Amino acid sequence: MLAVQFIRSLPAYALVRASRGHPAVATGDLSMLHLGDVEEPRLPGPGWVRVRPGLSGICGSDLSAITGHASRYLDALTSYPFVPGHEVVGVLEDGTRVVVEPALGCRPRGLEPPCRPCAEGMPGRCERVTEGVVGAGLQIGYCADTGGGWGEVLVAHESQLHQVPAGLPDEAAVLVEPLACCVHAVLQGRAAPEEVVVVQGAGTIGLLTVAAVRRLTPPRRLICVAKHPVQREHALRLGADQVVTPDRLFQRLRFATGARRLGGPDRPLLLGGVDLTFECTGSGRGLDEAVRFTRAGGRVLCVGMPGREEVDWAPIWQRELTVTGSYAYGTERDGRRTFELALELAPELELERLAGPLFPLGEYRRAVAYARAAGRLGAVKVAFDLRDRQGWD
Amino acid sequence: MGRPGAVIEVDRNTPPTLFHFGEGVRLERLPLGTRVVYPPDPLPPIAHPERAIRRALAHPLDDDPLKSLLRPGMRLTIAFDDLSLPLPPMVQPDVRQLVLEEVIELAAAAGVEDVHLIVANSLHRRMTAEEIRHVVGDRVFTTFYPDRLYNHDAEDTEGNVFLGTTAMGEEVTLNRRAAESDLLIYVNLTLVPMDGGHKSLATGLGSYRSIRAHHTVHTLRNSRSYMHPPDSALHHACTRQGQLIEDAVRCFHIETAVNNHCFPALVNFMQKRETDWTAADQAAYLTVKQLTDLAPPAVKRAVFHSMRAPYGLTAVHAGQVDAVHERTLAAVERQMLVEVEGQTDIVTFGVPYLGPYNVNASMNPVLVVCMGLGYLFNLYRGRPVVRPGGVVILFHPCRYEFDSVQHPSYIDFYDEVLADTTDPAEIEARYERCFAEDAWYRQLYRRSHAYHGVHPFYAWYWAAHAMEYVGDVIVVGGERETVRHLGFKCASTLADALEMAEQTVGRHPSITHLRFPPLMLADVR
Amino acid sequence: MRFELLRDLELVRRGWRWGQVRPEWPEPAAAIPELPSLEWARAEPVRSLRWLVQQGLWLPFTRLMTRPEVEGDEWLRDQDRAMILVSNHVSHADTHVLLAALPDRVRERTVVGAAADYWYRRPWLGRLVSFWLNTFPFARSGGAQGVLHSSSRLLRSGWHLLIYPEGTRSPDGRLQEFKPGVGHLAGETRAPVVPIHVQGTHRVMPKGRRIPLPAPVRVRIGRPLHLEPGEASRSFTRRVERAVGELGGGSRAPEVVGSWIERWRATAPARRRPRPGGGRGPAGGA
Repeated sequence: MLAVQFIRSLPAYALVRASRGHPAVATGDLSMLHLGDVEEPRLPGPGWVRVRPGLSGICGSDLSAITGHASRYLDALTSYPFVPGHEVVGVLEDGTRVVVEPALGCRPRGLEPPCRPCAEGMPGRCERVTEGVVGAGLQIGYCADTGGGWGEVLVAHESQLHQVPAGLPDEAAVLVEPLACCVHAVLQGRAAPEEVVVVQGAGTIGLLTVAAVRRLTPPRRLICVAKHPVQREHALRLGADQVVTPDRLFQRLRFATGARRLGGPDRPLLLGGVDLTFECTGSGRGLDEAVRFTRAGGRVLCVGMPGREEVDWAPIWQRELTVTGSYAYGTERDGRRTFELALELAPELELERLAGPLFPLGEYRRAVAYARAAGRLGAVKVAFDLRDRQGWD
Repeated sequence: MGRPGAVIEVDRNTPPTLFHFGEGVRLERLPLGTRVVYPPDPLPPIAHPERAIRRALAHPLDDDPLKSLLRPGMRLTIAFDDLSLPLPPMVQPDVRQLVLEEVIELAAAAGVEDVHLIVANSLHRRMTAEEIRHVVGDRVFTTFYPDRLYNHDAEDTEGNVFLGTTAMGEEVTLNRRAAESDLLIYVNLTLVPMDGGHKSLATGLGSYRSIRAHHTVHTLRNSRSYMHPPDSALHHACTRQGQLIEDAVRCFHIETAVNNHCFPALVNFMQKRETDWTAADQAAYLTVKQLTDLAPPAVKRAVFHSMRAPYGLTAVHAGQVDAVHERTLAAVERQMLVEVEGQTDIVTFGVPYLGPYNVNASMNPVLVVCMGLGYLFNLYRGRPVVRPGGVVILFHPCRYEFDSVQHPSYIDFYDEVLADTTDPAEIEARYERCFAEDAWYRQLYRRSHAYHGVHPFYAWYWAAHAMEYVGDVIVVGGERETVRHLGFKCASTLADALEMAEQTVGRHPSITHLRFPPLMLADVR
Repeated sequence: MRFELLRDLELVRRGWRWGQVRPEWPEPAAAIPELPSLEWARAEPVRSLRWLVQQGLWLPFTRLMTRPEVEGDEWLRDQDRAMILVSNHVSHADTHVLLAALPDRVRERTVVGAAADYWYRRPWLGRLVSFWLNTFPFARSGGAQGVLHSSSRLLRSGWHLLIYPEGTRSPDGRLQEFKPGVGHLAGETRAPVVPIHVQGTHRVMPKGRRIPLPAPVRVRIGRPLHLEPGEASRSFTRRVERAVGELGGGSRAPEVVGSWIERWRATAPARRRPRPGGGRGPAGGA
């Protein structure tokens, strides 16, 4: 089958790092990414089925891996070579349209009894992601034995599949996985109605977080930090009260929260500030700013995937901030699966307006380059379109 | 004796006309037939200012000589205008220094121990020590600073007292030290007819509570213009407040007026009419133009803001406020008045680098509006130079730049309020209170050198009359995004602007160019 | 023996003006070459050139490096007579800092006494510092008659004189004994002596280091001292030394005690200032 494969190669990694992730190098012949004919993944065990991806998104974490920015920490939790792609809407052999919940916890791995997090319904926190019927990997799309969304076929356990309602177009369904991440984060953040909430960043995760906050835990004021004009429009449409640009961030947050702003020798800081920040850029800079404008005793949630970042810990210490990670999805407090909530939320958000442009697999170089510059080019979610392959009408 | 002001019609032999353009200048060829209005030449200054001051203090108008009002054991407070006057700041010695030294000399001779000097900075920023030193001179400064020479603090609840309410319902507050003094002397410098009189004490030592009574959109729309006190609702309100203050405290006013010699010798070409330019002036213009084109903004600002004006004293009067102010206004108008025949469709002028609220700081877009459509537009007597529904064409680079120390509330005003609406009345109703009571602005006003939180609103109201009156405002050379944000139109050249203006006022419009600074008061017949 | 005669003649020649106030004689070893008068350094166009170099180059640099905190410059602002400015000396940076601390009007009429045997040993170095700081050679080994004579001539022609009566830079920052030349000079010219104390320059550039480092500096200027009638020049020198030492200690004691009125009178100018608009340059600001 045709697939884009990610291989482990130290020289390639060094080269990509040396080019600082330049797209031409990061997807070039000497990179870690290769398009080719790879063996179809076999079904690893009972309950596993074959899925033919239709649309498959390019996630920020994929880009980090490709450009060599991803944390080396994740290396041990991954098996190589793998086919990337975990934001997948696909069809089963019987033609059912599904979205894949890619986390590989104890159940898909066939481990009985499951580890404690998995038993509690949090496969994202699974303690045995290197064991069982498939190789190491946090998710489909980072595991050598499952295939991934950037190939013609992947295998998934039936517990990982969620049927897509008929009215939801593919372009919207491909955003269900990131939406589930954001729903998970928002339910974790639990903004109170009188609070001021900032969503830092307006890429896919940022925008979907804005949407989820507005619908699940509407606060007094929801502010989105967006760099590009198109992001600004999306953010306002999805429910932000106010959109600010990064260059006037502190000034405008000060006004919105009635805080005090100090110059600081290198960068400004707020005394007082916002109650809850969703850090959705995954960059050290974003987090470093977030801890300076979140009020003492406030919470910062890292929703975007960070790497090894330099962050000033003094404000975290002095403000007694709660900095929390937020990864993946599972079962929320009310006992419902995050994906179910996301699928319920999806129709009213008109997510299809966020998807595009779509590229065939063969143009993966252009696609990755486009995705890298998505905000500037006015795109949000760049995806591969594999629907002209067999199995789709 | 200098020439009076003049209106000159542009013909084929007229040289190009100078436009101020923020921290820069440019020459423009105005269309044939355009009227150019020039201010009068500087009046000759008084030869012996000290003598004139001493004479004024010894023979006040409608009041006893100052000497007879001073006695040992009294509480004496001397308030004086802050650095928003004159523009640009004067070369030392400042007129206020000369007056203060004479007054203090008398106080020393009379043995008055309890003397305080207060900068009447109202809701303006606090002056820095060096700025105060520049205005009052070394001797006064070293004698009194900092415990007996300081800035008025309008947000100090303990330091201000409520005096009462006028017949029209305006509340009046006054600096506590001033209110509890046996004698309150006000030393003023009147640069334009708006300054001085009852407004000195009513606003200079007032607080938000008293100033909000007349700094409103309604009042300012009914001040046509506030540069001509008899026609100014603003001044009527100030007079009512001032009379209440005069009833409560024994006041003694000293008012001064200066001529319009506002540019140092090096850039004398800015002062002169273009027809008078010598080769040296032309060379100076070329140099300044090239340098301002090339220099980075910070350098330009440093150079422009280091200019000191060689103003000369033309009048000094002391005594009872009404009598004093009448004489002072006469002196100011003698220097500023230019007769202009009839109104015009389009009026053009350049906005200079400096307005009252950006001494030693950049002129932010809100202040450009305040200066252009506020102060400069309102420099008329009778009726505006431009006809109702006419077009005002301003020259200013209008960049998005704010001084974070002096103008923190201006930044938020621009980004939060103007993004929502530019209508003064709506702004007043929806946002003023929130800014005026913001704790952070209050803190910066009291402890740093920031303008009060409500000050950008007043800057905007200052232009309310013009915004209502004119049909269109076009900013030539402005930054497109910023000018749009302010609610105006943007053009890159004068020719484009005139073409755009024709769509509002019709073909073959009449054009008048007001060649300030130096400032002048157009007496439109 | 023949050469003894020459020596005697020399001694007599030096003792030519008997009866005048006279400092101690220099040691024979410290005999120095004929001192240049350096008239050119105080005449145009060198003055204007120096002004340019000062304003454009080293004044901004000095202010940037030291951020001098100046107290008491009001004592200088209204002085019209030539003054002897007397300061302690800890570093080569002193002269720059002191000049930077002086008001413009004083600075441009100030000449600095520079150690003749150090700075003027090499002609080109001497010319350079003369141009740079407006120095004139000042013999430090007790004060030769000729030097005092040229100093008093400078004072009489209206130049302020900045000298370091310690004679050399203090090795540890403490005040050393003042050489008596100050008292003689004051006695001869009746010029007021302004005590100045500079603190912090040893951190900028201690004796022996060549590269200056930024450090805050404080300059305190005291009330001008006058030679009392009948006061001996030596005791006056001690008085000046004490005044400089007192400026260095603790926070500045108020020169004027009592109410503002006394202070006001104490700072009264000798004569009235020029009128506003009286032809001051464009850079007349603070």
